[in-house]
Amino acid sequence: MAQAIAAPSDSTELVPAAGDHGHAHHATNTGVSNAKLGMWVFLSSEALFFGAFISTYFLYRGRDEEVGNPGPRPREVYDIAFTSVTSFVLLMSSLTMVLALAAIQRGDHRRLRIWLLATAFFGMVFIGGQVFEFTEFYREGLSLHTNLFGSTFFTLTGLHGAHVTMGIIWLLVLWGRSMQGRLHTEHAEAIEISGLYWHFVDVVWIVIFTAIYLVPQN
Amino acid sequence: MSETETGTETGTDIVAEHPGETLEQHEQRMHEIAPRPELLPMLPGEIKPHPKPRDYVLIAVVLCILTAIEVGLYYLEGDVNDNLLIAMLIVLAVVKFFLVCSWYMHMRTDQPFFKRIFVVGIVLAMIVYGIAIATFASTIPSEL
Repeated sequence: MAQAIAAPSDSTELVPAAGDHGHAHHATNTGVSNAKLGMWVFLSSEALFFGAFISTYFLYRGRDEEVGNPGPRPREVYDIAFTSVTSFVLLMSSLTMVLALAAIQRGDHRRLRIWLLATAFFGMVFIGGQVFEFTEFYREGLSLHTNLFGSTFFTLTGLHGAHVTMGIIWLLVLWGRSMQGRLHTEHAEAIEISGLYWHFVDVVWIVIFTAIYLVPQN
Repeated sequence: MSETETGTETGTDIVAEHPGETLEQHEQRMHEIAPRPELLPMLPGEIKPHPKPRDYVLIAVVLCILTAIEVGLYYLEGDVNDNLLIAMLIVLAVVKFFLVCSWYMHMRTDQPFFKRIFVVGIVLAMIVYGIAIATFASTIPSEL
């Protein structure tokens, strides 16, 4: 199948893509979708953003013992079984997200809405788990100010949770647009772009879950 | 035979040729004319068709198995050499990372340009923060 745009162009008129079953999009100077390009650049910058907090966590990891800071240590508060379940839920939300994309590509808007809602629901379960976890940690004496572990842990996982929350809002907006009949098959790229964000949040959690929770502390 | 009957009707045509239909009628018709999963259309700029939904599910199963192995490894702490454990956990995380990027983020099927942009960010982050960790790792305790 031919690529949608074969050569760069200054034109901004809608160009029906050859053989793409009715998808149409704007020609761009780069020859690639501007919206998708923007999302990939954003995700690339997000890799640097999360990299900063993950490396900060590692820099301060285990330093509480060295300087004699009070407060619980990671192994004393982690509930790996619980966090594994929430991680599994987030992983499965990536599956429902790609199924939503496949649904809109087929023009199956009923399933699109089901999968979008399922993805948002899984995201909410993950966030609910994180809120529960944070509450439990706080009850056990760990807060943002308690020690280095508390500061770096809550900052990193809290920022990730904020990203998931943004993703949930985005998914619900798309679901609402679909309910209003304002999301058609030719808008499949909008679903793919939101999916890129959602999957990125998922891969960041893959790294966080391993680096923060699973890697031996000593 | 009309386009509708052949199942090749486009999204633009649907809106233009059926102005009076309700949302439910539109969805029912789209469901009836929807092509089979193996005929998923490509999005603008993509160089290969997306995987089939069955492939997505298979990838999810693999991701679940890898996650279960990761969690299982956690409980082996103390029984297995820590360095070996860390190496295995890193390998598993990297495999999961690449599976999601390749299959779910469609790096396999989309323009390589997008992949390069993302890889630049990842590599830059690894270099910058690798240097930061190497530089400050030995100095931070004395400065606390």
